[in-house]
Amino acid sequence: MALDDIYDSILGFDAERTAELVRAELAAGTEVRAILDEALIAAMDEVGVQFSEGVLFVPEMLMAAMAMKGGLEILRPHLSASEAKPAGVVVIGTVKGDMHDIGKSLVGMMLEGSGFQVIDLGIDVPAERFLAAAEAHQADIVGLSALLTTTMPAMQATVTRLRERNAGPRIIVGGAPVNQDFAERIGADGYGEDAPGAVALARRLVADR
Amino acid sequence: MHAPKVSFLPPDKIAVMRGKVLELLEQRGVQMEHPEVTRRLAKAGAAVDGDTSNVRFPAAFMEEVLARAPKRVELFGRDGAGRLEIPRPEGGFLLRTGTGAHGYLDPETGSYRKVTAVDAAAWARLADGLAEVDFCAFPFIDGVPVPSADLHGLMAVLGNTGKHAWIQPYTAESIEYLLNLAAAAAGGEQALRDSPRVSIVATALTPLSVKFIDLEVIRLASRFGVPVHACSLPSAAGTAPITMPATVLMAAAEILALLAAAQVMEPAVPVIATPLVFALDMRTGRGLQSSVEAMQGAAAAVQLMKQGFGLPTHTYGSGTDSPVADGQSMAERALLGLLTGLARADILGGAGQLEVATAISPVQLCIDDELAAMTRRLLRGLEVDEDTLAWDELSAVDPGGHFLATQHTLRHCREGFLPKLFTRLPRDAWETKGEGDLTARAHERCRALLSEPAPEPLPEDTRKEMAAIVAAADRRLAGTG
Ligand code: B12
Repeated sequence: MALDDIYDSILGFDAERTAELVRAELAAGTEVRAILDEALIAAMDEVGVQFSEGVLFVPEMLMAAMAMKGGLEILRPHLSASEAKPAGVVVIGTVKGDMHDIGKSLVGMMLEGSGFQVIDLGIDVPAERFLAAAEAHQADIVGLSALLTTTMPAMQATVTRLRERNAGPRIIVGGAPVNQDFAERIGADGYGEDAPGAVALARRLVADR
Repeated sequence: MHAPKVSFLPPDKIAVMRGKVLELLEQRGVQMEHPEVTRRLAKAGAAVDGDTSNVRFPAAFMEEVLARAPKRVELFGRDGAGRLEIPRPEGGFLLRTGTGAHGYLDPETGSYRKVTAVDAAAWARLADGLAEVDFCAFPFIDGVPVPSADLHGLMAVLGNTGKHAWIQPYTAESIEYLLNLAAAAAGGEQALRDSPRVSIVATALTPLSVKFIDLEVIRLASRFGVPVHACSLPSAAGTAPITMPATVLMAAAEILALLAAAQVMEPAVPVIATPLVFALDMRTGRGLQSSVEAMQGAAAAVQLMKQGFGLPTHTYGSGTDSPVADGQSMAERALLGLLTGLARADILGGAGQLEVATAISPVQLCIDDELAAMTRRLLRGLEVDEDTLAWDELSAVDPGGHFLATQHTLRHCREGFLPKLFTRLPRDAWETKGEGDLTARAHERCRALLSEPAPEPLPEDTRKEMAAIVAAADRRLAGTG
């Protein structure tokens, strides 16, 4: 069945083929909802399981997610507002004074692969930019990364600044010197030790809202 | 004496990679964010893009930089004595302790906690007492003002060991204070310049850029005449391509860009190529320093920097991805140290560090001292001559005879390596003696070293001057003190 082919193309990390097949299904008049649920979402659920079991590796997981995203973009014009909604909106960045990039990027990409809309602000991001982006994108979650003890105070200051807004987003933090204890002390909503941990955390926080 | 070596790169591949490094620097270039440095680079012949601060280095320009780069480096102990020459007279390596870690495995309680100022002082005293350790870096101290934490770290090192100190600044603002502190300990800027008792690290912001702080390190190091460890920390599959040859190539390009920057600031300042190679675990994305791939990368990077570019070279020779000083830790650091030692690195770093350079253990440092002694001995290799072939002895031996008490054995019987910590006791004797395993014995050694009288303190005036510098940094950088 053609929906199976879409599913397989995602698990085969073949973004081009996924796009082709999704277009073909739409043209053939297959129900949009079925393409979304039975092919795209089903495939990403399987990718998630296989990644957590160590079957799929990081780049495979990310490429599968990109294939799925490509398919979703093609479907988007045909989806209702609620169907097109991401799992949640995440604004992520490395805090002011800190240039460590790759851990934050990995967390961002994995969140994206898990259905979140991610706005990556990059490195050395001042509190004001987090705040502005969180408001502009109506973020559900703000993710802060710090790899230096010297920038942990900036992380704290950013949390404080974000908290000044009522109904602010949930805040998650991570990075080598950060731990659960520090996260609690600065009033963050959660600490993620690694990228899969960050995804689980983000899912839980969004579900709790 | 034949010096054993490992080779990951055959000569023709070194030549290919050398060419590609120069090509990458000429065509892609490295972004460098420091107006003064880029201005001087432009004046010297590099192509600087004013909008992006990308600097491209013509190959001929880079060849000149390489030709002029000092090939020998001399480092000194805190008091101007204890000269350390690079390259090492016997082709061996200098041993440096781990830097920047915030976690501490307390030798007394065995628990994990943050590093305190007291721990940092003990760390430096251990480094002072351990014969194989040549220079000491400072960990990240908790409980002091954060913006001047690096000054407290350097203070702990300079106050507790007479050995050479390595400086890893945490912010651009603290660099000058750190170098002033080193100058004060040396008895003045001239003394520091004449016999550099500290050296300092400048790292690239992989991939292919260098931020202000690190070019500021170079600017100030050249002013103070302090040697620079030009460092690249690529993470394969993250900030660098996944294949090690490409990761090594990129690291080399970044290091040469730092070298060029140092040279336009002050041609005489020695630059030590310092590739520290990481690789991401493809199952989780975790950064690793002692995976098989990272070790291969380290050895290949040393070879390229030394044989391809003729530069003094520094990399990790110790450290583990394990969070504890367990069997994995011992195995990983033994493999890494032997490999990078055999690649003929001039400096091996990371002694005492655990958990991908985020934690240190005094017990592990004592074990690393022993491992370094063994590695040094291994690297010396074998002499093959009339005497070591023992031809007369072999010709004269009778069937059923032995060599226990010959003149030849007598002459050589004290040459073998004798470990201080490794046991050679059989089961019963080991149990009777009750000295525990390697970790327990290393712990004993750690205690014994720390109970010895502290090293000669610096003169009181010097200590006062140094304390004033740290206090000023606390005040101006942290607004405290
Ligand atoms: C590579 C590296 C660099 C590179 C970064 C290159 C780049 N483009 O990113 C460079 C060379 C630029 C660099 C610079 C410095 N570094 Co550095 N660096 C590292 C190193 C070796 C690895 C970091 C890394 O990339 N890890 C791999 C990624 C995948 O893991 P990760 O970042 O930890 O992220 C994971 C988790 O932490 C978590 N996570 C991360 N962020 C977030 C966010 C959220 C929301 C969540 C939920 C989870 C999460 O999930 C991620 C994925 O699993 C670490 C050592 C270490 N073990 O951490 C030192 C380290 C962090 N650096 C250190 C230091 C001191 C510095 C410098 C000050 C040194 C100097 N003078 O040059 C400068 C500071 C520059 C600045 N202002 O930021 C120290 C920090 C000590 C401390 N406690 O403060 C460390 C520990 C090394 C050391 N022992 O000295 N560094």
